[in-house]
Amino acid sequence: MTQYEVIHNVQTNEMTEKEYTKEQIAEANALQLEAEKRAENIAKVEAAKASALAKLAALGLSADEIAAL
Amino acid sequence: MAKQTFTTGQVLTAAQMTSLQQTAMGGGSTTDKTTSYVLVAADAGTTVIMNAAGATTITVNTALFAAGDTVNIQNIGAGICTITAGTATVNTAGSLALSQYEGGVLYFRSASAATFFDYVQTGSVSPLTTKGDLYGFSTLDARIPIGTNNQVLTADSAQALGLKWATPTAVDKNFSLVSSTAFSGSTFTVTGLSGDNLFFQIVGVTNSSASQAFRMRFNTDSSSKYGNASFGYESASAYSANNAQTISNAPDSFASIQLGWFSNNTASAYSGTVMVSGANTAGLKPVQFGGGFGAGGGNTHSSYIGGGIYSGTSAITSVSFIVASGTYASGTLYVYKG
Repeated sequence: MTQYEVIHNVQTNEMTEKEYTKEQIAEANALQLEAEKRAENIAKVEAAKASALAKLAALGLSADEIAAL
Repeated sequence: MAKQTFTTGQVLTAAQMTSLQQTAMGGGSTTDKTTSYVLVAADAGTTVIMNAAGATTITVNTALFAAGDTVNIQNIGAGICTITAGTATVNTAGSLALSQYEGGVLYFRSASAATFFDYVQTGSVSPLTTKGDLYGFSTLDARIPIGTNNQVLTADSAQALGLKWATPTAVDKNFSLVSSTAFSGSTFTVTGLSGDNLFFQIVGVTNSSASQAFRMRFNTDSSSKYGNASFGYESASAYSANNAQTISNAPDSFASIQLGWFSNNTASAYSGTVMVSGANTAGLKPVQFGGGFGAGGGNTHSSYIGGGIYSGTSAITSVSFIVASGTYASGTLYVYKG
């Protein structure tokens, strides 16, 4: 999807649209990369947490005992 | 007949005595001066009367009078008559500017120094006439009439007395709504802003791309002039009130203010507020923000409070809300200024 900027001039109440400049596209790509890295990191943490919970359960801890940790 | 030095055996005539009465003895008639006048030796002991419609001067020079000589001076004209030190020195504890019907005595302490004693006449001591009047001065004492309720005294060199009562400019620090606009586009920018302080209320913003950071920027300035940190909590996995963790964000990338993150569901909606202080000053502009992102069926539900600064020196005239991907699907921005 083409990215674009919507501009509202509150003094004239004029609304305009313009496509992203090269600089805006480059920045959006960098920010998107950052978002993807963050999502990957969250997924890793979630996976590690699920693995830890499974191991605790395998040791015989109940769900209440795990939650109490 | 001016002041004389009489000799032993001298016999004064009737005409001489009459003249002396009228001049050196301070009595009798005198011819009015209608233009500015320079005192002469023959004025010693006489009365000099100024009668002119416009401003005039009476100039006092040295080596014309002796110690103890006096000159009576009156002004009967509408124009102000000012006794002016020419080559002689003239001192007074009163005023050297004589309005109509004012007068005084010029007393010579020496040939080059005189003191002017202006008559203080009953009724002319004070120009004040009305409750609240102030004593002013231009080239002479004058009344500054009291103003109306709630006016303030203001220096104004264009006024005859240099002061005037004026109604102060209203200083309205109440916030007023400037605009309300629906979010749209990938970047949503509002321009034409002004005001000492700006307040942004953001309601129900959603984005077509999930898991995006939500950022704001001033004056389309993408240089490193931003710093912000926030504190809050967010859920770590499938949203639950019992599954939240405290988080803190270190200063941002310094190219924008980061308000937080949408969840991994496009129904995640942000509502919050942003306050910018001193938005029209050249100095640092403090930014305070707070708000929350609903999980919207996604995993993370988060809320942040934070603050930072924008160090751009220009007054803030625009604000942009940026997401890296997608377009805004809903939400309204309310802008207030105060």
